[in-house]
Amino acid sequence: MRAGKFIQTIFFTEIIKGMALTLRTLFTPPVTRRYPKVKRPVKPGFRGLHALAKNEEGKMKCVGCGLCGAYCPSQCIYIYTSEGEDHKKIVDRYEIEVLRCVYCGFCVEACPFGAITLSEHYEYSDYSREPLYMTKDKLLANWDRYFAGEKGLRYFRDFWRPKAENFSAYEGQAMFDKVKARRKEQK
Amino acid sequence: MSAFLGAFLPPFIVQLVIILLKIAVVIAIGLLHVAYATYWERKVIGHMQVRLGPREVGPFGLLQPIADGVKLFFKEDIIPANADKPLFYLSPVIFFIAAISSLSVIPFFESFVIADINIGLLFLFAMSSLGAYGIVLSGWSSNSKYAFLGGLRSASQVISYEISMGLSLVGVMLMAGSLNLSDIVRAQHQYPTGMFAVPQFIGFFVFVVSAFAETNRLPFDLPEAESELVAGYFTEYSGFRFALFFLGEYTGMIIMSSISSICFLGGWTIPRFVTDLLPFLNYVPGILWFLLKVYCFMFFFYWVRATLPRYRYDQLMAIGWKLLIPLSLLNIVITAIVKIWFRGMA
Repeated sequence: MRAGKFIQTIFFTEIIKGMALTLRTLFTPPVTRRYPKVKRPVKPGFRGLHALAKNEEGKMKCVGCGLCGAYCPSQCIYIYTSEGEDHKKIVDRYEIEVLRCVYCGFCVEACPFGAITLSEHYEYSDYSREPLYMTKDKLLANWDRYFAGEKGLRYFRDFWRPKAENFSAYEGQAMFDKVKARRKEQK
Repeated sequence: MSAFLGAFLPPFIVQLVIILLKIAVVIAIGLLHVAYATYWERKVIGHMQVRLGPREVGPFGLLQPIADGVKLFFKEDIIPANADKPLFYLSPVIFFIAAISSLSVIPFFESFVIADINIGLLFLFAMSSLGAYGIVLSGWSSNSKYAFLGGLRSASQVISYEISMGLSLVGVMLMAGSLNLSDIVRAQHQYPTGMFAVPQFIGFFVFVVSAFAETNRLPFDLPEAESELVAGYFTEYSGFRFALFFLGEYTGMIIMSSISSICFLGGWTIPRFVTDLLPFLNYVPGILWFLLKVYCFMFFFYWVRATLPRYRYDQLMAIGWKLLIPLSLLNIVITAIVKIWFRGMA
């Protein structure tokens, strides 16, 4: 044992092993993704830039209850409402300070009507703060831009089904494997 | 060409012109090699770390060294207020000049050497120790803790490893019977193995380790240990002065690769038994063999850098004084005895 160790020290077997490893990795393909040129496909359910959902008639789903703003941990959602005809609540301003958002998704979870959403868009750096202050119009435009068609339907069906519509989960809803297994046991 | 010039110019001017032309060629090609040594290093280390390395400037990032050079040239030149100004200006120049003047005694191929002097190896040792002055003075004159510590470390490291490097090459001198680098290569070619690395394997090992320490490369890069000393002795340097240190370091690596190529790997020649076996290799110009050996050694520099972590300072000193110097002394004794024995038989 001691003689073996002595021989190992003399002939640097450990160093040679390390050198062999680095030489092998020299010929393996690099893992680098050349980002602005090659983009990583965004997985569904990704939490990116905010958008305000529209219903089938193209009107804003938000009713101005303010749950999202109350829930928001970084307190970056500002909602201003006023009373309209027939004592109806009108959302005058719905604003999100995107620079302060932590993308936890609590607002989406809290919303009973599925009005606030997080899109898969994440490349919106800018040179000033102004373009990153999301007003109601911008958020509604984001919906048209990033959730047009099937994508918006899928968002609510698979991930964020609003509790106001249905309390039971969708059959194919994305969830952790362990939770799925427990659900099956209960059935 | 000398005949053409000699027709209407006195001979010493012809000599001078030829030497100046040689210097221009060697410096131009040498600096180009230095520039692309950085690119190659970044590529090799990048791929060893499963990255890509430079890719964006030019095709395959090939213009990256030029872009780096231009950037460094136009950077602001900052001098610390409390720096020792004359020494601060002088030390990068000392470092760079010491490194680049070593190129003058290196024979690149048969009878192409700027200064064919008899003390070639001694000159190389002298120049590499002179480079240490640049490091120590820059550390002192910057008036910064990091630079000062880097300079001190470098001084002790270079002094320790200078000894073992000199001693490791004594075996080569004994076998070749000369200090002239061209003569060493010719003596090697006469020798049956064609490379002194085979009989002088102890000397070669000691030389390689000392070469890493002399050029402040990993695993002995303590003078410029990034994680401890920011950048070591050139922490306070910027712009073109920094570039001089950078160029000097890579020139030093190329010099060390050239020395190992000349003294141990046969310089511009390849072993006789190879040319006997494959006669067509005789037509390959010698410079290619020389460059191939230098490139392999440079690759070894990068390979070790990508693999090994940095030694602790006491380990560095222990390796130098307790391992390498006794080993090289042993090598000298064995080489001398064997040489006397063979001579006695003949």
